[in-house]
Amino acid sequence: MKHPARWIALTAGAVVVVLGVILALNVGNDPELESEQNRLLGHAAPAFNLQTLTGTHVSSASLAGKSVIVNFWNTWCIPCRQELPELKKFYDAHASDPDFAMVGIVRDAQASTSAIAEYVKDEQMGWTIALDPDARAALDFGTRGQPETFAISPQGEIVGFQIARVTRSNLEKMLDYARGAT
Amino acid sequence: MRRYGPWIALFVVVGVVLAILLWPGGGQSAAARAHALASELKCQECQGLSVADSNAPTSVAIRADIKRRIARGQSDAQIRQVYVDRYGEQILLSPRGSGLGLIVWVLPVVAIALGAAGIWFALTRGRREPRLHASRADEVLVDRQRGAHT
Amino acid sequence: MKAALGYAAIAIGGSASLVGVGALLAGLRMHDALLLRIGRRCVFVVFGAALAAVAVMEWALITHDFSLKYVAENNARGTPLLFSITGLWAALAGSILLWAVILGGYLAFVTHKFRRRSRDPLVVVATITGLVVALFFFALMLGPANPFTTLSTVPVDGRGPNPLLQDHILMAFHPPMLYLGLVGFTVPFMFAIGALVTGRFGEGWLADTRRSTLVAWGFLTIGIILGAWWSYEVLGWGGFWAWDPVENASLLPWITGTAFIHSVMVQERRGMLRVWNLSLVISTFCLTILGTFLTRSGVIDSVHAFTESDIGPWLLTFLGVVAITGIGLLAWRGDRLRAPGRIDAVVSRESAFLANNLLFAGFAFVVLLGTVFPLIAEALRGTQLSVGEPYFDRMTTPIGLALLFLMAVAPALPWRATSGEVLRRRLLVPAWAGAITMVVAVACGARGVAEVLAYGLGAFATAGIIRQFVLGVRGRRRALGESRTVALGRATRSNPRLYGGLIVHFGVVLIAVTLAVSSAYGANREVHLKRGQSAVVSGYTLTYLGTHVVPTEQKTTISADVRIRRGDRDLGVYAPAISTFPNSTEGIGTPSVRTGLTEDVYLTLVSSPTNGRITLGVRINVMILWLWIGGGFMALGTILALAPRLRRRPRATPVASGEAGLEPEPADALEEVPA
Repeated sequence: MKHPARWIALTAGAVVVVLGVILALNVGNDPELESEQNRLLGHAAPAFNLQTLTGTHVSSASLAGKSVIVNFWNTWCIPCRQELPELKKFYDAHASDPDFAMVGIVRDAQASTSAIAEYVKDEQMGWTIALDPDARAALDFGTRGQPETFAISPQGEIVGFQIARVTRSNLEKMLDYARGAT
Repeated sequence: MRRYGPWIALFVVVGVVLAILLWPGGGQSAAARAHALASELKCQECQGLSVADSNAPTSVAIRADIKRRIARGQSDAQIRQVYVDRYGEQILLSPRGSGLGLIVWVLPVVAIALGAAGIWFALTRGRREPRLHASRADEVLVDRQRGAHT
Repeated sequence: MKAALGYAAIAIGGSASLVGVGALLAGLRMHDALLLRIGRRCVFVVFGAALAAVAVMEWALITHDFSLKYVAENNARGTPLLFSITGLWAALAGSILLWAVILGGYLAFVTHKFRRRSRDPLVVVATITGLVVALFFFALMLGPANPFTTLSTVPVDGRGPNPLLQDHILMAFHPPMLYLGLVGFTVPFMFAIGALVTGRFGEGWLADTRRSTLVAWGFLTIGIILGAWWSYEVLGWGGFWAWDPVENASLLPWITGTAFIHSVMVQERRGMLRVWNLSLVISTFCLTILGTFLTRSGVIDSVHAFTESDIGPWLLTFLGVVAITGIGLLAWRGDRLRAPGRIDAVVSRESAFLANNLLFAGFAFVVLLGTVFPLIAEALRGTQLSVGEPYFDRMTTPIGLALLFLMAVAPALPWRATSGEVLRRRLLVPAWAGAITMVVAVACGARGVAEVLAYGLGAFATAGIIRQFVLGVRGRRRALGESRTVALGRATRSNPRLYGGLIVHFGVVLIAVTLAVSSAYGANREVHLKRGQSAVVSGYTLTYLGTHVVPTEQKTTISADVRIRRGDRDLGVYAPAISTFPNSTEGIGTPSVRTGLTEDVYLTLVSSPTNGRITLGVRINVMILWLWIGGGFMALGTILALAPRLRRRPRATPVASGEAGLEPEPADALEEVPA
């Protein structure tokens, strides 16, 4: 081959340019932001059947036909505490709607059931609290931590999702999505 | 034969050892399977650690879930698929060998093979093309020397 | 006032590099000695300016001057003196300053060393290249990465360094060592460019830079090993290498640098591989810049990443310019670099070095591909893919084993060609050492293929190394009648490159074997203990004694005292802890490690004690100490390889013909004494 060095250099140069373009495209992207998507958005919500604090059960079947807000939380994380007032205000505004349901799923390796019950009473959390000690529901929903909040339509599809602390306005928006989805 | 004797014995010994190691023995224990699967999944709350190595709450929960699924009889591929469905392909620390992920597995092998081939050709080129022709520079040199002596 | 001083120093440094480049270019063109001298002086001004800027920053850090934004963000009143000093490299802008001062130091050293060849175009072009690189880093500090920006309202107290960066004394050593290594590769790069531009690509530039390259490589090796040590002792996850993108970024130039150190020997001996060596050096330098870019641009998610991303486009552009320039120069000159020699035989030292380079190139390719593949996947398909430990381990293990094999075989291969008989004779005993080791390992219960192969090849290589030492000593004793110790000392010092290299190889073998062992064995458990309760893990009894809380100005530390006993022996009380810093919400866990010769007991406090109970993470890690010992051998070997050769004292009387045979010729560098 005549002038092999030129050909090799050309190939190397092309590879470097391609690599450079790829790196340049990614500069300024925050890789962490993208991991905050949830794969189940737009898909059917996973089935769950959990025991509640009051001793009964709550399942996805029992909530079918309603617009459901599911909030994963625990007793010790700071954003969970911070979002409590917003959740309470939201729940109070909609508790009497027949097509609305709200479930708080708690997965707490450290607190016992009685400690959770006491916390719920102290904080006056009026909505259904389900216990998920094995984190089965938490994993089924693809959660990465707490708090995470989901909105499920009456047809059982996940239409809204938020990681970290929710605000009242976001909760309202998620409920509208659930109700509006046909 | 005497020259090669010790070497033949050496290869036999090494061969036996390798045969013992490669012999399909009893399958992995459940605990080993669980640990292997957990090291293939990325912790969702950490920076780059595997589920096996991290103590984040989700990782602890995933490890327990893997154990339950193995006890229920699910295969490794099934368990992996369950987690890919929930968390996306990014949860696999080792890209699957199909689709785009194939590139990372195949490309290095191809590159090293090409490099080895290139070296081989360079090595054998010396034998195949003996330099029998004088280059222009050589001719000039000879002429100069001739000119110097006449 | 300090900010103005510091910024002025940087401005002086930047201007001096610009002036220097101009003066040297003009001086080269016009053969003007005065201009060349001015250019050289500029190098020292650059170094002085960088030193001054560092001095100002350290002064500000030590006196907690929070009017400087950098100090307010990386220092607090409660920060101990050591971590105030190390605050210089705790964040982005300061780390660029560290890079600049080390670069200035290397440039000043090179300029001083080559002062007698100051009119040599090769040296001049090399100096110009070095000054251009320095100009870039000073420009970074004058622009996006200014360490001396001020705050209009001076806070009462600073934020303090990142909690992980004020935890351990290694913070004082790991970054500087790493930078001494990474920046050091600028020196061979400068001379490679000089060689390409001036067309003098013989062996001169190699000889000029041999020691600098080895020094840079040595520092980088130590820096990487200290990083692994830090990961182990400080981060608390129980491992020492996570194939984190930033770890890979420091490994990549080390891989190509190691390849270069080996292939350089082929060029020294036979004049071959010239283009390849130039490419390796240029690639190594480009990889150091790529690493800087990956660490600082926020492109890849990593434990190490500095968060600011303004600097990304600058670094990427510089990298592009350097890469294209290097490739362009090689394309222009490359075809005229045909070597005078050819490789004579397939089985020879030369081809072993070629195989070595092929494997290292493959290794670098795997690491680079794995690190940037998530970005490629995102760009091509928008999908998020991860590439982590399982991939890297699976791809690099065969390469590592092949390299171990070469390490065992290559030193026994003569240059040019060999007969099968010579090779068989030299390798028989070491090969049997390897085979027997494999048998013993399997007999003791080892079952992994890669693991057992690592033991066998490691023993093979070690036996070969011992054989070289024995032959060297024996040769001297036969010829000179020296005692064993004297012969050993004189043999190593008369051929320091060979024996230094062998010691480095021994360190590598230790590390390789430790990697094999530690990944195959060990235990990992979580135990819940009440005060006074014990648990048994892998033969160790752990008793939770109690907690104590230590509040200081810097942090509040909650530690749990755990007594470790093995059988009857009391191994002491160890205290894993969680520290909270005033300006950070998360607690930082600190592991407590009981280092043993064969096993480490690695304790972590998983969560703060509640109701008198703790959750203790217990890992039993096997043979980790030998990683650090192996690193020590690598450092020792490098120092020996840098030592000057012991020359024989010239004889006072001329040698009579009858005695000529008594003194053997000094063993040629890198070739063993004929057996």
